[in-house]
Amino acid sequence: MSQRQLAMVIDINKCLGCQTCTIADKNMWLRGPGQEYMCWNSVETRPGDGYPRRWEKMGGGFDANGEVQLGDLPGVEDYGVPWEWDWEKLPHIFPRPQPSWGPNWQEDVGEGEYPNTWYFYLPRPCNHCNKPACLAACPRQAIYKREEDGIVLIDQERCRGYRYCVRACPYKKPYYNVQTNKAEKCIFCFPRVEKGVPPACVAQCAGRIRFFGFMDDTEGPVYKLVKKFKVAVPLHPEYGTEPNVYYVPPISTPRVGNNGEPQGQGRIPLAYLESLFGPSVRQVLDTLRQEIARARRGETSELIQTLVSNQRWRV
Amino acid sequence: MRKFTRRDFLKMGGLASAGVLVSQRLPALQMLQAVEDPLKSYPYRGWEDLYRKEWRWDKVVRTTHSVNCTGSCGWNVQVRDGIAIRSEQSADFPDPEYNPRGCQKGASYERYVYGPQRVKYPLQRVGERGEGKWKRISWEEAYDIIAEKFLEVAQKHGTDHVFLFSVIPAMSPLSAGAGYRFGSLTGCVVGSFYDWYSDLPPGEPMTWGYQTESCEAWDWANSRYIILWGANAVESRIPDAHFLTEARYLGAKIVTIFPDYNPTSLKADQYLPIREGTDAALGLAMAQHIIARGLYDRAYLQEQTDLPLLVRTDTRKFLRQADLEPGGRDDVFYYWDQKAGQAVAAGKQNLALGPADPALEGRFRVQTAGGEVEVQPVWALLAEKLNRECTPEIAAGITGIAASVIRQVAEEFATTKPAMIIEGAGTNHWYHNDLINRAQMLLPILTGNVGKNGGGFNHYVGQEALKVPSLNQWFWPEKTRWQNTTLWTYCHTFGRRTRGVEEGWMPLYPKEGDPKMMIVWRANYLNQAKGHEAVLANLWPKLELIVDFNYRLDTTALYADLVLPAASFFEKFDLSTTDLHEYIHSFNAAIDPLWESKPDFYIWKELIQVITRKARQKGMADFANLYERWAEMGETPEAVAQWALDNHPWTKGYTVEEIKKHPVRLKRGPNATAGDRSGEAGFTRNRGAFTPFKEHVEGKEHWPTLTGRQQLYLDHDVFLAEGEELPVYKPPLELEKHPLHYLTPHGRWSVHSTWRDLDWMLQLQRGGPILELNPQDAAARDIADNDEVILFNEHGETRLRAKLAPRVRPGTVIVYHGWERYLFDRDSGNWQAPVTIKVKPTQEVEYGHLKFRLNYWGPTGTNRDTRVDVRKA
Ligand code: SF4
Ligand code: SF4
Repeated sequence: MSQRQLAMVIDINKCLGCQTCTIADKNMWLRGPGQEYMCWNSVETRPGDGYPRRWEKMGGGFDANGEVQLGDLPGVEDYGVPWEWDWEKLPHIFPRPQPSWGPNWQEDVGEGEYPNTWYFYLPRPCNHCNKPACLAACPRQAIYKREEDGIVLIDQERCRGYRYCVRACPYKKPYYNVQTNKAEKCIFCFPRVEKGVPPACVAQCAGRIRFFGFMDDTEGPVYKLVKKFKVAVPLHPEYGTEPNVYYVPPISTPRVGNNGEPQGQGRIPLAYLESLFGPSVRQVLDTLRQEIARARRGETSELIQTLVSNQRWRV
Repeated sequence: MRKFTRRDFLKMGGLASAGVLVSQRLPALQMLQAVEDPLKSYPYRGWEDLYRKEWRWDKVVRTTHSVNCTGSCGWNVQVRDGIAIRSEQSADFPDPEYNPRGCQKGASYERYVYGPQRVKYPLQRVGERGEGKWKRISWEEAYDIIAEKFLEVAQKHGTDHVFLFSVIPAMSPLSAGAGYRFGSLTGCVVGSFYDWYSDLPPGEPMTWGYQTESCEAWDWANSRYIILWGANAVESRIPDAHFLTEARYLGAKIVTIFPDYNPTSLKADQYLPIREGTDAALGLAMAQHIIARGLYDRAYLQEQTDLPLLVRTDTRKFLRQADLEPGGRDDVFYYWDQKAGQAVAAGKQNLALGPADPALEGRFRVQTAGGEVEVQPVWALLAEKLNRECTPEIAAGITGIAASVIRQVAEEFATTKPAMIIEGAGTNHWYHNDLINRAQMLLPILTGNVGKNGGGFNHYVGQEALKVPSLNQWFWPEKTRWQNTTLWTYCHTFGRRTRGVEEGWMPLYPKEGDPKMMIVWRANYLNQAKGHEAVLANLWPKLELIVDFNYRLDTTALYADLVLPAASFFEKFDLSTTDLHEYIHSFNAAIDPLWESKPDFYIWKELIQVITRKARQKGMADFANLYERWAEMGETPEAVAQWALDNHPWTKGYTVEEIKKHPVRLKRGPNATAGDRSGEAGFTRNRGAFTPFKEHVEGKEHWPTLTGRQQLYLDHDVFLAEGEELPVYKPPLELEKHPLHYLTPHGRWSVHSTWRDLDWMLQLQRGGPILELNPQDAAARDIADNDEVILFNEHGETRLRAKLAPRVRPGTVIVYHGWERYLFDRDSGNWQAPVTIKVKPTQEVEYGHLKFRLNYWGPTGTNRDTRVDVRKA
């Protein structure tokens, strides 16, 4: 294990689905040849197939014996071909090839019948796991976890593009670059972090939903939200990789009758949230509701103050 | 850079088999130095510099964007080797709650700066309009063509045949004003935008005598109850939407009222699935219940509103001094003082009532010059009308919202203080937007929430708040031919005149004949024109020369005769202000203007110099000193900006140099301070957030309305004839006999048309124009997801791809606003194709405080009330 670990908390209740994080990330690292299709950080509407399409069904991760599993290799269609427009064709221009899938194809679709449709946004950077399946699967040992901060990196010199990491990562966060014949992935913006600046997706998050810092910094927001208040939980803990990105799960807008009559229960099925974040999500949502109720009564809550804080990172 | 092709992609391979166990290291390892345990330490970290090198620059320049998003965000442009490589939010607003500000579109702006959309050289059309065939010409040739044509039109027809169109000065006033000033000095017609784009909430001038006044976004966090009503903040106010989610954490209840379960509703404690276009009925029924339950703020209403003012039951007009005394005034009104037992003139000095106790209820008799008449306070008329026409039960049948829900929300709104309504384009784009506004506004008025922090009716559509008042002096040195653009477009497209024009309430230029020439800058007139197809067919041929200054080849540019390359937002200086925050900050040139582009200010400057020179040569005295007059306040944008700052008490003391470095918080109003921003940041205290109207509510100053009060009753003949003297519900128009309501909301992926054609934005959508509809409506038409469909009615047809989304209310279809015409097929209209232009009679009257004023009072150009159908292509 690395000596210290950087971690991120993403508060889904504040997420706008604006993809400013995705663009900040692309601006930062993804403008080279072969990277056009990539969103190291993606934001997907859930329920939905996500990015790449049906990634949760592709396998990977560790089995019960701690053996790393090789899952499916996503194909081009699963990410979405980056369309091109021929501006010479004005006065009418079209995306080529004909669009049939993309990284945000199911934006705001969700499930459920009107007026009880339900959906929310799930931003997904690399989890920089404690037990990275990508690292375990790499036959060239080109993937490592930095001692000083736990960031998981793919060595761009040593990698030969075998894509075992793509198959082994159950979150499908390593991406294969055809031009360089290497796999690459989110680097938690280590060049920024080394200078005391948070990752681009954290700094530029328009919804102010991302918290970042060392997990052992007990005064930092990440520690507080994950360990102290226990309102942030990892995505798919059952994959066994021990992610370092945590989520504050969404509080659901209540269901309504056909004429808007409030029906009490939330529109997002608890079972669905449990399928993403594990069984502790019920407790987390109870805590959040209690704290919001306290705020409504005019009481102060350190948890709420953390969630609305201007100090969202310490690196 | 080599393009990534589909073939490359296919090399990535398809699906491999799942679940292969990898417990052994695979053969390739043999050639490599083994790493003992990459989880512990890794010896070959030298390569990491590869990434470190990416995050460096030679300089960083702070700037902003000019797109009418209301964001007015700060961006640091990183420049390396003279290239603007990327920009990041500057996050330097003095109040950290405003940091960071900036959306995904802003973050991709460099892709426009260097993109294929960029206009590089002056272009002259060689093919048909819209064909996209151009000839590169020199700036001299371009100026020459424009100047010659301008002088010819001026001489032959008069400058009222020249129409200038530029939008939203607040988003870059020096760029806008350079042309406005030219228009004012030459007598050209200057078109409005705020009403034409239906961003103007007509209810505000009607009721308050203001164009629009809203609190800064920080004040949302002061609220305990927020209704988002047609304001899809999560999508369309990205930099400020966090104030909502934070307000909710801080204890505010969030209620959303929309026909679709939109992204803002995800953040709601309660969502009201309202039937589209019936919002006024909901508002009025809530008001009825608030009145019936006695939950209103009586003292506030007596003092601040016209509700106690007396109305004659015979004429339905206010009781005026002229009724009572020969030679009496027309603008003195009365209430019934219950203490004095008689009608008393409502004071014009100060709103404070003193000992008087104006009656709200009852009927009274007063002696007029023409005999005794019966009078009633406006309140009584309102209450009776609501009881008769808009109880929660009645409204339930109209809105699809149960009476019990209407009562519950009304009670909560009235009893949770402070409470606010945030209003947006979703309700403001209906034909009866004035009635919808007035019904919505009634709620914070009745409950005394207007003029209080955390309360009010806050409307954010369009970045109209130009907070440097003296800029107006620079824009308009002479009496200007201001023109409501809705009327200009309507009349010149359809060859009709409206009552307002006939009566002389609203100007229409030219007075005779057709417009001949149009100059558009900082705007996309054609793409955003309601009645798009008719405008192109009827109005466009009348224009002998259409000029567009633009950094990108948008739809208007494509259909223009001459396109001049304008500098991008990274290549010029200008100022920026918005309603959403209280700062002024600037554009700064991170790089020199690319190719042959120039800032709008300098295009105007040079064009005006050429016109002046030619006018002198031709002996046209009117324009012989044009340039000298134009340049009076300065010949550079910086000089004009400094002049404007120096010349108003609210902005005196600020320097351009300071504003260039970082945002500066502005004072608002003569007595206002810049707000108490002292003390620790954070949401624990009010921190002097700006909310409007305190001068009236606390300072007891009169409102700038005919009655000097918040005026709910408008006794102009047109209002009386339409039955709209009080707010009332009127159903959406049914001009087209089709089953579906066409909704065109402002969305996440564009600001109007800007960014509609940007690759990265399209990659995160579906690559082109889409129509969203409920799966139920799709099934009835045999439409599957991603099918090509035709959206149609009698005004036009549009081809797009269907997106099936259960959040869309059955019976409505959604096409997000702003798709450029060239993103549609050859045989397709654009997104406005099914929309025609409608002019509402009550919005063109002249009455008391309602007199034509640019962007302030004039008919709005609404998109909704459009019925369509959809079929599979
Ligand atoms: S920038 Fe922030 S709010 Fe926007 S999608 Fe990303 S995580 Fe969500
Ligand atoms: S486009 Fe508007 S909202 Fe987006 S970053 Fe620029 S100024 Fe801000």
